[in-house]
Amino acid sequence: MNQSKVLIVEDDKWLAQQQSLMLSRAGYLVTHVVGADEAIAAIDDLVPDVIVLDVLLPGTTAFSLMHELQSYGDTGAIPIILSTNLAADLSLDDLAPYGVRRLLDKTTMLPDDLLAAVRGVLL
Amino acid sequence: MGTVQGDSNQQLFDRPLTDGVSSFVAAAHELKSPLALIRQLSLMIESGDLSPSDQQRLLRQISLTSERALRLTSDLTRSVRLSEAMFELEPINPQQLCRDIVHELTPLFALHDRRVKLVTRKHPLLLVANRDLLRRVIMSFSDNALHYTQDGSAIEIKVGCHSGGSVIRLGVRDYGPGLSRLNRRQLKSGRNLGPMPLHSRPQSSGLGLYIASQFADAMNAKIGVTQHRDGATFFIDLQASRQLRLI
Repeated sequence: MNQSKVLIVEDDKWLAQQQSLMLSRAGYLVTHVVGADEAIAAIDDLVPDVIVLDVLLPGTTAFSLMHELQSYGDTGAIPIILSTNLAADLSLDDLAPYGVRRLLDKTTMLPDDLLAAVRGVLL
Repeated sequence: MGTVQGDSNQQLFDRPLTDGVSSFVAAAHELKSPLALIRQLSLMIESGDLSPSDQQRLLRQISLTSERALRLTSDLTRSVRLSEAMFELEPINPQQLCRDIVHELTPLFALHDRRVKLVTRKHPLLLVANRDLLRRVIMSFSDNALHYTQDGSAIEIKVGCHSGGSVIRLGVRDYGPGLSRLNRRQLKSGRNLGPMPLHSRPQSSGLGLYIASQFADAMNAKIGVTQHRDGATFFIDLQASRQLRLI
């Protein structure tokens, strides 16, 4: 069974519940936090294999978090899947230097897309 | 690292919504989140992989998310028509109004692992306002607090008075990240708010606050915010009714 660790940073609790359920069923070890500050603490503790990150978060922004992660060699190597309502306004090319490997549009994605994205970045 | 490219994305979120279509953009932004959530939850149910109890839970979440979105659309419609209508001002018992709001919001807060409670006063107060508009303002503040308060904590709806009892203040205290400096300055200045940059308070366009300020204007009331170390209190100040003194 795949025991890769996934950290979900998502302030919408109900959406995070569904994402966690789906990824857990697929065998991933899932941790959910609601904001970037909690994410930094969780990343230190867990050292996740992949981060699923919402963009608009309460408190510290997702961009600040990504900047922080890029400041260190180990955390900078963690692939990030950006899952956001603002995907149409963002470009994966622009975000790649921040460690973003996939860009998911919450308004059009299917539930399985997240699982496919996690599998894709962990290959 | 490509900081120039990164900054262009950052600017997207800091761009003030000051053009003619800002309200539409803000409304679209605010509605996108609940609609996207409803869609995701519906797709999960469609997949058929859920237990009956999980299905029930998701259906309840869909209902409550729809209601939140509908409240926003209803407030938007009402705010556009403010200039067309006369709003009757009447004496209102704010404690009873807030108690009704707490009762209405309790299921929504419970599903989010949060609580909402009324901080009551020993002595009754009476204020002058339009019941519907005042209710919408408090609901809007509460909705904002729901989003920014931490899991397991309670938001507090408080009724108080100041200025020698001539002004009644209804406040909604949350426990979450504070407002940006820009947002505080606009509230402090007392001038009409407009839809704000997306990061005025993270994850919000400030549309709810903007609508609340319009409703307050229609009642000759003022809204404001007090920053705390661990959150904020959004409040509305209204004129006290003199009827109580005559009783």
